[in-house]
Amino acid sequence: MSSINEKFTPIRKGLLEFLVLKIIASDKVYAADILKELGATEFATQEGTLYPLLSKMRREELVDYEWKESEAGPPRKYYELTAKGRDQLRETSDYWQKIILTVKNLGQRQGQ
Amino acid sequence: MNKVIIINLNGNAYQLEEDAFDALRAYLDTARARLEGNPDRDEIIADIEQAIADKFRAFLGASKTVVLAAEVNSVIAEMGPVEAAGEAGAAQGAASAPAGGAKEAPKGGPQGAPRRLYRIHDGAMLAGVCNGLSTYLDIDVSLIRIIFFAMSCVWGFGVVVYLIMAVIIPTATTPDERAAAFGTPSTTQDFIKRARDGYYEGMRAFRDKSEYRAWKRKFRQEMRGWRQSFKMEMQRNAHQWAHNWHRHWAQHPPPVFLGGWLLAPVFALASLVVTLAVFYAIYSILVHGAVFGIAVPASVPSWAAIIILILLVQLVVWPLKAMRHSLTYGYGPPYCHPFVHFWNTVASLAVFVILVWLFIHHPSQAHDAIHNLARETRAAFDSFRDWLNTL
Repeated sequence: MSSINEKFTPIRKGLLEFLVLKIIASDKVYAADILKELGATEFATQEGTLYPLLSKMRREELVDYEWKESEAGPPRKYYELTAKGRDQLRETSDYWQKIILTVKNLGQRQGQ
Repeated sequence: MNKVIIINLNGNAYQLEEDAFDALRAYLDTARARLEGNPDRDEIIADIEQAIADKFRAFLGASKTVVLAAEVNSVIAEMGPVEAAGEAGAAQGAASAPAGGAKEAPKGGPQGAPRRLYRIHDGAMLAGVCNGLSTYLDIDVSLIRIIFFAMSCVWGFGVVVYLIMAVIIPTATTPDERAAAFGTPSTTQDFIKRARDGYYEGMRAFRDKSEYRAWKRKFRQEMRGWRQSFKMEMQRNAHQWAHNWHRHWAQHPPPVFLGGWLLAPVFALASLVVTLAVFYAIYSILVHGAVFGIAVPASVPSWAAIIILILLVQLVVWPLKAMRHSLTYGYGPPYCHPFVHFWNTVASLAVFVILVWLFIHHPSQAHDAIHNLARETRAAFDSFRDWLNTL
C-alpha cells in the first residue's frame, strides 16, 4: 500500500493545483479551510507546500484574495477564482475526464 | 528553568523558550533560502508566520504564556518543509502524506548542519565580508564594520585582512550556500555544548568527591601559574622591545634640525591640505571620472586610477614626510616632541571635522561617492580574483 502511495506522490503533487482550484471554486475560502478539506483525502498537504502554491497561482492570475476580518485573531486572506482561474478549472476538468476515460478503456479489448 | 525570548511573528508577539526560538528561526531561515528568487517571498513568509502564530495561540492560555520547544517542533512538523511551487525539481521529496511529513519536517531546518562562512552580497557595503562574518558569528554587522574600520584606521591591517578575506571566502550565491551560511553555527553554541558534555563526561571519572576537589584545586593552581607566567613573558618581551628601540635610536640618531619643531604648524597645515586634496581627487575620480580637469582614460578602471593616484601622492609627499618625521623625533627619540604632537593631532582632527562637515552639508554627493566607492571596490576584488584564477 505504501509503495503505491509513494508511486503516486508526483501525480498527487501535480493534481494539487487542480484540486485547490476546485475547492476555491466552490466557495470563498482561506488557507486553513483548504488544508482541512484536503486533509480528509489522499491529498492531505501542509502549509509549507500550500502557501507557495497559492502565491504562484495568484501570480498566474488564477486566484485572487481579499482581506476579511475574522471573529478571532487577525484578518485573513480569503481566496476566490478569477475569470482566468475559472477557464483553467474548466479545461483541467475536461482533460481530467479524458484521462479517466483513457485509464478505464485502455487494455479493455485484450481483457475481453 | 529556561530563558525566554520574545519574538514578533507577522505582528504578533510571542514568548518562546530559547531552544524553541532556535528551532523556529532555523525553519524560517530555511524557508527563506528555499524561496530565494521567488518574487512573493516576503508575502509567503508573512503567511507562514501568520499560520505559525495561529497554531501557537492554540497552545497558550491565561496560565500558560510561553511556547515550549516541543510545541514548536510539533508546529514545524505540522507546517511541513517549505517548497517552491511549480519550479523544476519541486516534485522531489514531496511529503504529502501527513504521517511521513511529520517525521521528515524537523529535518527541514539546517539543524545539525554546520554553518559555513560565506560572503553575503545582500545589504553589503563592499564585498560582503563583514556581512558574512556577522551572519557566521551572529554579531551585529555594524559592530563588525566598526571593528574593521578601527583596525584600518589605527593599524592599517584591517584593510589587508579585509582584502585577503574578500579573495579567499566564496560568495553565497546558490540557495544551498545561503542556507549553509545561515545554518546552525558550528561555533559558539555548539562549542559550548560540546565543552559541557565533555565536562560531565570527565566528572564521571571521579569516584568520590574529595578526589574531584583535589583535582579541581590542582587545575586552578595550574591555570593561575600559567596565567602569571604568560603575563611575565609578555612584560619581558615589551621591555626588551623598548630597550632595543632605545639602543637603535641612540646608535642611529635621525638628522635633527635645531629648533625645527617650530615648523610644526607649517607641516601640519601642509599635510592637512595634501590629505584634503587627495580626498577631493578620489571623490572626483569616483563621481566625475576626472582629476582636476584631467579625464581618466576609458581603458583604466576607476579603482586602478585611485590606486595610481595614491601611489603618486606618496611619491610626491615623501620628502615632506621624511622632514616631518625627523623633526617629530628631534626632541629625543623615540619620544615625539609635544609641540609637534599637538600640531599633528590638530591636523588629523581638522581632516576629520572637515570630512564630517562635508558629509552633513552635501549628503547626496557623499552618498554618490560612497556608493561608487563600494562598486569600484567590488570591481577591484573581482578583477583581482580573475587575475588569481588565471595564474
